[in-house]
Amino acid sequence: MIHYIYDGSFEGLLTAIYEAYSRHEQPEKILKGNCLQDSLFVKYVFIETDEQKARTVYDAVKQKISPDAAKNILYAFLSENKEAGTAIYQYLKLGWRMGKRVDSAIADPWVFKVHSLRRKVSGEAGRMLGLIRFQLLSSGVYYASIEPDHNILGIIAHHFKQRIPGQDWIIHDVKRALAAIYHDNQYFIVPFEFNGPLPLDQSEMDYQNLWKEYFKDIAIKSRINPKLQRQNMPLRYWKHLIEKPGAAKDL
Amino acid sequence: MDLHTKLKILGAAAKYDVSCSSSGSSRKNRDGGLGNASLPGICHSWSDDGRCISLLKILLSNCCVFNCLYCINRASAETPRATFTPTEIAQLTVNFYKRNYIEGLFLSSAVYKNPDHTMELILNTVIKLRKEYRFNGYIHVKAIPGADPLLIEETGKYVDRMSVNIELPSNHGLKLLAPQKNRDSILKPMEFIHTRILQTREEKKLFRSAPSFVPAGQTTQLIVGATMDHDLKILRLSENLYRRFSLKRVYYSAYVPVTRHPNLPDIANPPLLREHRLYQADWLLRFYGFTTTELLDEKRPHLDAELDPKSAWALHNLHLFPVEVNTADYELLVRVPGIGVKSAKRIVMARKHHTIGYETLKRFGVALKRARHFITCRGKYYGERNISLTGLRDLLTSEVARKRNTIPTGEQLTFQALYPHAFTDNDVYTIISGEI
Repeated sequence: MIHYIYDGSFEGLLTAIYEAYSRHEQPEKILKGNCLQDSLFVKYVFIETDEQKARTVYDAVKQKISPDAAKNILYAFLSENKEAGTAIYQYLKLGWRMGKRVDSAIADPWVFKVHSLRRKVSGEAGRMLGLIRFQLLSSGVYYASIEPDHNILGIIAHHFKQRIPGQDWIIHDVKRALAAIYHDNQYFIVPFEFNGPLPLDQSEMDYQNLWKEYFKDIAIKSRINPKLQRQNMPLRYWKHLIEKPGAAKDL
Repeated sequence: MDLHTKLKILGAAAKYDVSCSSSGSSRKNRDGGLGNASLPGICHSWSDDGRCISLLKILLSNCCVFNCLYCINRASAETPRATFTPTEIAQLTVNFYKRNYIEGLFLSSAVYKNPDHTMELILNTVIKLRKEYRFNGYIHVKAIPGADPLLIEETGKYVDRMSVNIELPSNHGLKLLAPQKNRDSILKPMEFIHTRILQTREEKKLFRSAPSFVPAGQTTQLIVGATMDHDLKILRLSENLYRRFSLKRVYYSAYVPVTRHPNLPDIANPPLLREHRLYQADWLLRFYGFTTTELLDEKRPHLDAELDPKSAWALHNLHLFPVEVNTADYELLVRVPGIGVKSAKRIVMARKHHTIGYETLKRFGVALKRARHFITCRGKYYGERNISLTGLRDLLTSEVARKRNTIPTGEQLTFQALYPHAFTDNDVYTIISGEI
C-alpha cells in the first residue's frame, strides 16, 4: 500500500496527482504532511511540490474535464478535510475517463464526496458574506475578524472588492493567521497577526450600539425561537458578531 | 428626538413586516459608488425569533391616520410616535452597509397625513440614497395603497423590489378590521406595478440601457388567523396572485395579538403551526407543480395540522404509489413525500449512469423515513407491508406533531367551539371576546 504525502498546498496536491500518473502508481491515499499516522503496512512517498507539474495538471483538468471540475477540486481542497486529497485524486481519475460527464455521476461515492466538500465550502463562504462585521478604525480602515471552518478567505475577498471599492479593508482569518488586505483597487492575502485592543474610530461605538439595539428590537417576543436562530447562525460564529458578542464563551 | 430613540420606535414598529429577503436583483456597483446587489440575496444575521435579518427594516413614520385594528400603529393606539428624515435614513443605511450589517434598506411607513404625502417622502428618501449617497445596495419599499400611480412609477425606477400588503385574505375581513382599506385600493397598485414590470422587460429587449423598474419583482404579505378565512381561501388567493401578477412571494404572518377588540379573535399565541403549513403548501404550489384544488377542497378547507401537506396529499392519492425511483418522471418524483427538488434532481441526474440503490438515496438527502412507503428501488419495496391507512398516517406524523397534540395549547373553551351550529358569523365575533 502506498500513501503520498504532500506539503499541504494546492500545488503540492496537484504535483502528487501528476506523480501518481507519471510513475504509474496507484496511491491508496494522498495526505497532508501533518496527517501522518505510522503504519507497518504503508509505504510513504513524500512528494516535492513543483509549480510546473501542478500547472500542467490544473490546465488538463480545465481542458479535458471542465472548468467546473477545476473549481470543484479547488473548493474541495479549501475544505481542509483530511480525505480531500484522496477524494480529489479519485474524482480526477474518473474524470479523465468520463470528461465533463463526471459531474453527473453523483452516485459514485468519490464524486459525491468532492461535490459535498465543495458545497460545504461555498456554503460557508456564502454565509460568511453576511456574517462578517467590519469595525471602523481611527486610520479609516475597516477591519473584520473571522474564524471560519474552511479556508475561504480567497473566495470572499473578491465579493468585498466588488461591493465596497471605495473603502480600505482588512479581513483577518484569526484561526489561520491570514488576512486579505484591500487597498487601491486590489487585495492581497498575506500572513497576518494582530491581537490587542483595536484603535477604533470615535463614531464606531455609536453605530455598534445602534445596531445592537436594532437587533434586539426587531425580534417578536411571542415568537422567540433560539433553536431556529442557532440552526441558521451556528454558535461558533457568534464570537465575532457585534450583536452577539462573547457568546462563544458559553460554548 | 435623537437617532437612538427614533430607531428604537421605528425599528420595533416594522418588525411585523415579514419580508426581509434581498434576492432577485443583480445591481452592479457603478462608478465607485457604494455597494451592489447579490442575485441570490444574502442574510446578515438572525434575530432571537430565528428570522433572518437581511435589510434594515424600518418605518419612515409610525404616525398613522388609518385605524386598522390588528396594527400596533393604528391611529387610536397609545404608542410613542416618531418620523425619520430622509437624511437620517440615508446615513443609517450607508453606515450599517459599510460595516456589512445589512444588505440594504427595507422602507415601509404608516400612512402619514395622506397616502400621496407618504409616498413622496419614501421617493425622496430613495432618490437621496441613490443619487446623493451613490448607494447601489438593495432597496425594498412599500407602495402605499391609494398613492398616485405617478409617484409609485417614479419610485419603481430607483428600487429593487416593491410590495403592496394585501393584509387580509378577504374583502370581508378588511371591512371588519381595516375599514379605510379595500380590496381595490390594494390590487390596483399591484396590477400597475406588474404592467410596468412587463413593459420594462419589453423595453430592455430593444434597448439594453432602458431604465430598470423594480428588477427584483413585487411581493405581498397577509395576516393569518385574524379573520375566519380558511386555508383554501388563502391558498387560492396566493395561487391567483402568482398567476395574475407574477408575484415573487406571498408572505404569511401569523396574527400576533397586539390589542383586544370585539372584531379580533381572542388567542393567547400566534398560530405559528398554521403559518408553517401554509408556507409548506405555498412551496408546493411554486416549486412542486401542485395546484390548490389538489391539496384542499370545500369539504376539507383546512390544511392538516399533524401532517405536512405533501404527505396529506399522498395519503389521499395512494393509488399513484409506489413509484420506481429509477424510472419515474421528475414531476412524479418531486411529489413523493420525503423527496424534494434537490434530491429529485440528483436522482434524475445520477440514473443516467447507474441504477440507483436504496443506500444512494440516503446520501442524496431523501428523507427515507417518509419516502420508503411511497417508492420502490430496483423493484424492491422498503415500506411496511399490509398496513392500514391510519397506521401509515401514524408513521408519517412526526414525533413533534404528536407531542404537540397532547400538550394543551391554552386556548379558551368557548360556547361557539362546543355548539358551532347554534351561532351565526356575527355572533361568533362578539361571543369570542365576551362583549355583546
